[in-house]
Amino acid sequence: MGDLALNIAASGLNAQQTAMDTISENLTNANTPGYISEAAQLTANPGGDLLGVGDGVRVVGVTQNTDGLLITNAQQSRAVLSQSTSLQQVLQGAESVFPEPGSSGISADLASFWQAWDGISQDPSNPAPRTQVVDLAQNLASDFQQAAEQLGNLQSNAQAQVSSQVAQANTMLRQVASLNTQIAAVNGSGSPANALIDQRNQLMNQLASSIGAVGIPEPDGTINVGVNGVTLVQGSWSDTIKATGGVGSMSLVAQASGVTIASTGGEVAGQLAAINQYLPAYQAQLDATANNLSSTVNGQLAAGFTATGASGSGYPLFQGSGAAGLTVNAAVVSNTQLIAASSTATLPDATNNGGNAQAMAELFNAPTGPDLQYQSLIQGLGSQVQAVNNQVQAQTSVANAAQQNLQAIIGVNTNDQMVQMLTFQQAFQASAKLISTVDTMMQALIQAS
Amino acid sequence: MSDVMGTAISYTPQIIAQQLISGLNSDQAAQATLEQQLSTGDMINKPSDNPAGAADLMQLNASMVRSQQYAANASDGSGWLSLGNSTMNQILSALQQARQAVLSVSGANLSNQPGALQGLAQQVSSVRQELISLSNTNYGGQAIFAGTGNVTNAYDQNGNYVGGGSAPTRTVAPGVQVAVGVTGDQVFGSGTTGLLGSTGVLAQIVQDLQTGTTASLNSAATTDLQALDNATTTVTSQAAQMGANYQRMQTFAQQATNTEQALQAQMTGLDSTNVAQVSTQLTEAQQSYQSALWATSQLSQESLVQFLG
Repeated sequence: MGDLALNIAASGLNAQQTAMDTISENLTNANTPGYISEAAQLTANPGGDLLGVGDGVRVVGVTQNTDGLLITNAQQSRAVLSQSTSLQQVLQGAESVFPEPGSSGISADLASFWQAWDGISQDPSNPAPRTQVVDLAQNLASDFQQAAEQLGNLQSNAQAQVSSQVAQANTMLRQVASLNTQIAAVNGSGSPANALIDQRNQLMNQLASSIGAVGIPEPDGTINVGVNGVTLVQGSWSDTIKATGGVGSMSLVAQASGVTIASTGGEVAGQLAAINQYLPAYQAQLDATANNLSSTVNGQLAAGFTATGASGSGYPLFQGSGAAGLTVNAAVVSNTQLIAASSTATLPDATNNGGNAQAMAELFNAPTGPDLQYQSLIQGLGSQVQAVNNQVQAQTSVANAAQQNLQAIIGVNTNDQMVQMLTFQQAFQASAKLISTVDTMMQALIQAS
Repeated sequence: MSDVMGTAISYTPQIIAQQLISGLNSDQAAQATLEQQLSTGDMINKPSDNPAGAADLMQLNASMVRSQQYAANASDGSGWLSLGNSTMNQILSALQQARQAVLSVSGANLSNQPGALQGLAQQVSSVRQELISLSNTNYGGQAIFAGTGNVTNAYDQNGNYVGGGSAPTRTVAPGVQVAVGVTGDQVFGSGTTGLLGSTGVLAQIVQDLQTGTTASLNSAATTDLQALDNATTTVTSQAAQMGANYQRMQTFAQQATNTEQALQAQMTGLDSTNVAQVSTQLTEAQQSYQSALWATSQLSQESLVQFLG
């Protein structure tokens, strides 16, 4: 009897100790990203005893408290959120290019510009108001140039970000493939590869956030990684991705297959949307507004005459094309008498006539003029930023909820672990007590004989 | 053991930490928005705060700046017209002196009194010089009777019109332009019916008085007087026109100021922070932030670990 009881108690000590190890592992990794909590699976050993007494307890394995569906959910909601967040960053950058509504934006500078023309009409022969108009025109030109330059910077920053994200993603894809190989090997040898799975889990979280990758588990313990149906990792094989095409058509391509990846999630998707759609649209609208300003002002000037009675059509105020190219005519800057403020060519009237300048001042807020075009650019930009802000807010709660649901399963609950620790401790003490009791019983027997 | 977790959702310290962090973040973001609204006094600080409102604000601001300019234009025009009106009064009283001189001829037989006639001729001649001087009245360096044709002078010293073009105007409301002067030829006429020229009415009177014959004095008292009265009527009607324009300027100036105020009120309504409301919201946000901070300091310390010896 004593032999069997001691063996059973010894198996108890071993099993409780392994369970304790697992708890220790869980508590230590409570804050490790990607860590999936583990549990020792205990089972009763069938015994050879004729009466049916078992042969103690053994640990059949240490399994992970995992849920593939919840992991996928959390990764996908994180991918969607990352996409909106990266788009939000670029759009908020674009919004800050235009300090509206305010006293330092293009809108306020346009108002001052139109206003200054009445200054000429009040005293056409005085050079001071003419110089003021030229100064304000130069101010507007530099406003447009700066805005164009800043939008250009956002564009090149976003492209640089895509390149760096792609490079990181390629490294991670290789790592996943390599982990796949190791996990398959460990699984093949019959032992669980929990720590490797945790590492791969963390990589998949990052890949989901960066390029919207999704993992599909295979029976051998490996996972296949794909983005929108294009396979990038299969078992130990991994492909690389690269960004091709310029502004307006930039996309990700899987290098081995040459297939274009329609990116639907992750930071890269948000950046590509900004690069291909949003930023070019803002730039185009800004260019159109600059061209509109140029043609509106030059058109009105063409209807007037300079201080020497020459037609204003030969002396445009604005030159160049697009926002970046908008400049003020150097000839007019050096000789403000060339501003066609007069509505008559007759001399000496033309010197002292401000009729055309008056007409120019009335072009503020013109229905097809630059003011309204600029306002619609700002309103459109504002609406898009507002929409993406709202999206980020909604998707944050979705992603947080998914993360919570997942954490409830895979996370380490300290209280729960403590309770288990106490239970295993008591079981360990009970087994130890049993050994000392059997010992006492044996002693009694030996002394009696 | 894993059965224990089956029923209710298990809150791991990580979940609680994540909830606390996202709670703190959103409280802080709400506070920052409210603080910005209070410190700038504006509800719309960037386009995305209210896209349509931002576009409205820009349009209202452009209109307001324009109204300010209308008011400034009207004020400048009022200056011109006010000077024009007082100059017109001086011109009319000078013409009255010339008329008195001519009338005194018709009453008495002065053909044998060359001294008296010379005195009267001198008087009319100096009226003519005074009028030439008044015709060159300047507002801020610009001759008000010269039209756009000449900046500084309307008449040369011989009484010839050197201005040209039409009277300058000021834009005082969308599409409304009011003349701020009248041209010299409209006021003083030209040629033989004009007042100032070397062959004009006043020169003719001087010449007739100086000639001193019965026929010339008779002509001075009849034809010349009639011509002088006609010219005076023209001046009077131009003065009335200027007076009317001055009234219009004043009206438009007031109108532009009213428009500006209305636009300002509209912008304020659209953009201004309701301080009472936002302050209250800020207080609420601060309280909620403080509770969240307190909860963070309390909750994350508590776990079974503390109670196990």
